[in-house]
Amino acid sequence: MTIANLSRRTLLQAGAALLASTALPTLARAQDAPAGGRLIVAADSEPKNLNPAIVASNGVFFIASKVVEPLAEAAFEGKDGLSPRLATSWEGSADGKSVTFKLREGVKWHDGKPFTSADVAYSALNIWKPLQNLGRLVFANLEAVVTPDATTAVFRFSKPTPFQLIRNALPVVSSVVPKHLYEGTDIATNPANVKLVGTGPFKFTEYKPGEYYRLTKNADYWNKGEPKLDEVIFRVLPDRAGAGAALEAEEIQLAAFSAVPLTDLARISKVPGIKVISKGYEGMTYQLVVEINHRSKELADLKVRQAIAHAIDKKFVVDTIFLGYAAASTGPVPKNAPEFYDSGVPAYDFDVAKANALLDEAGYPKGADGNRFSLKLRPAPYFNETKQFGAYLRQALAAIGIDAQLVNADSAAHQKAVYTDHDFDLAVAPPVFRGDPAISTTILVKSGTPAGVPFSNQGGYANKELDDIISKAAETVDAKARTDLYKQFQKLVATDLPLINVAEWGFITVARDSVLNVSNNPRWAVSNWADTALQS
Amino acid sequence: MRRIQNLMKTSEGAIGFGILATLMLVALFAPILSPGDPLRIAGSPLLAPFIDPAFPLGTDRLGRDVLAGIIHGTRTSLVVGIAAAIAAIAIGLCVGLTAGFAGGAVDEALMRVVDAFQIVPSFLLALAFVSVIGASVPVVVLAIALGAWADPARLTRAQVLSFRERDYVAAARVIGMHPVEIAWKEILPNALPPVLALSAIIVAAAILTEAALSFLGLGDPNIVTWGSMIAEGRNVLRSSPSLSIFPGIALVVTVIGVYLLSEGLTKALAGRRSEA
Repeated sequence: MTIANLSRRTLLQAGAALLASTALPTLARAQDAPAGGRLIVAADSEPKNLNPAIVASNGVFFIASKVVEPLAEAAFEGKDGLSPRLATSWEGSADGKSVTFKLREGVKWHDGKPFTSADVAYSALNIWKPLQNLGRLVFANLEAVVTPDATTAVFRFSKPTPFQLIRNALPVVSSVVPKHLYEGTDIATNPANVKLVGTGPFKFTEYKPGEYYRLTKNADYWNKGEPKLDEVIFRVLPDRAGAGAALEAEEIQLAAFSAVPLTDLARISKVPGIKVISKGYEGMTYQLVVEINHRSKELADLKVRQAIAHAIDKKFVVDTIFLGYAAASTGPVPKNAPEFYDSGVPAYDFDVAKANALLDEAGYPKGADGNRFSLKLRPAPYFNETKQFGAYLRQALAAIGIDAQLVNADSAAHQKAVYTDHDFDLAVAPPVFRGDPAISTTILVKSGTPAGVPFSNQGGYANKELDDIISKAAETVDAKARTDLYKQFQKLVATDLPLINVAEWGFITVARDSVLNVSNNPRWAVSNWADTALQS
Repeated sequence: MRRIQNLMKTSEGAIGFGILATLMLVALFAPILSPGDPLRIAGSPLLAPFIDPAFPLGTDRLGRDVLAGIIHGTRTSLVVGIAAAIAAIAIGLCVGLTAGFAGGAVDEALMRVVDAFQIVPSFLLALAFVSVIGASVPVVVLAIALGAWADPARLTRAQVLSFRERDYVAAARVIGMHPVEIAWKEILPNALPPVLALSAIIVAAAILTEAALSFLGLGDPNIVTWGSMIAEGRNVLRSSPSLSIFPGIALVVTVIGVYLLSEGLTKALAGRRSEA
């Protein structure tokens, strides 16, 4: 979601509060921010495995990215939209079969050992490729990592692998962990998965389950003068209503990932000393998607899927459920990925009459009770918004004579029912677009993923044409040709509707005015916070 | 009739009866009072109460009519409360009667089962049961009954034990009545009244448990319940507290009504006993 996509009302509210109070002084101090201080942040989950090299998810990155660094981080400006971290430069070969990384010199692990190309090679071959949820796809054809010297790592692929993909995936898939702590151990149960050791600006110091994580300043950080903060505390506050109150009481200074509910933002943005920021999530756009089980007789019919798409009032969803903090989707690639986004895809306007006509045409007339058929609808429980959209979708479908029965379940039961047992007709899911369609988006519609893989196509949809485009794009090295293939991909998905994209949103950060340099990159909440500072 | 007269003589009984009768009527005529699906999106979201005559109690986050929700929620609460109480009492009576009348090893075994159920907090039991099986009204009723039958079982057993050795029971035994017949015809009618007085408390507890389950998102999402309305409203508690307050008031009124009725019933029964 970009600022431009926000509704005017939202923009005025958030903008006014921001400008009036802090934007100008914050910008002025951005360069020479004061050092020291303890930043207390709200955390709402305590991941069992905190190793970002294995679990590349935002819940893990939120805490771990301050300790374990990737080769490069996303940036608003800079070459390829990246800013260097452990790698200082990266270059792909013309045949797509190798990528050369120059690594930073003089970097030390938190235990004092030097960081070398061997650590990168070990992480890539032993963790990213075989174990990591996203790395499995990106590095599927990684064959070897050659390390001619301590600061050079050359990735060699057995098949052409687009450099565009590797580049876009770097911030997410390339967290480097120390070889000397993992080699020869069982990686999955290594104690360093919980007590992290990295090269980042903060050291992992303490974890009290149910209470807090404590990270302390790494005095030996490779970028002299950073980090600014002495300590970062992640206080576990599972109750969302609690985060807003804690901010007001100055018990915490920052709540990211919309920990303060959207409904509370209008009020809290008026509280003096608090700023509401919708920037800083551009690199991880969440998409509100209706997943469809194509095994169902009715839903296998394209006309029925089109009818459902026409029955959803995206404006209502954006304005009422997301209170304007979202944008309507047109297809599987969000608007804030301009490199790939194509607006020229079939659109489905909100049109109940047309939806009814399509269903009549498809041969499902309304019965005496006004219903055509019944469906089982499973909204994902992860966000308030996905649950509310489930309640809305049931009503929207009732308007076109489809009786959708809601089934609620906790996260584990929901994932099992949808992605393993296929016990659903429609499901509401919030997949993430991570800068490149090949990272976590094409898997949502591609056929052939075994049952049990979460956030993948488990609706039994199979379209040879689409599969061919996806596999061709996966091997197309030329960035322009590859981008064109993804434009075809978007058109085909929007035409054949293997799933229905409804809206896309980023999260909201709420912080005290005293926190400086907030949201200054597209993955800010999950970046290293080396330049984040506190005004005393 | 006599009993109802006694009940209405106590002020608690009369008020409780009045409240519950009104709620019953509301529940019964809900489709007429507020036609259509109460969960449908009827107006613009977050209308304040007492402003728009079409939505006297306002609308929620999605624009659903709060009054319609409360009217239809009466149905869910009463149905679940009463059905769960009937189920709990039925199970409790059977178990208590069997245990008390059979005695010996059967009594021991059944009472240990009762112990087991009494030890587990009934709400946790219901929570676990619903999360495993899935939320629907019958499951919720069963889940609540599962945690509530132990008390009536113990009470019934105690009653049976006190009646078992009475002369008229011994007499029935002497004239050769079948033990099951004795249990049903001679003991049960005498053991029943205190257990029925307990039933009102079970109804009240069941209504609260149902609301709590719905509040935690474990109710049936396809029907409106006061608990789920409060849970929805909780997200906007600071800006629109009325969304949680109205269903909360409905819940309080219902539970008070049931308690008052139970109080009146106890007094009426006590009166009957002193008259006898």
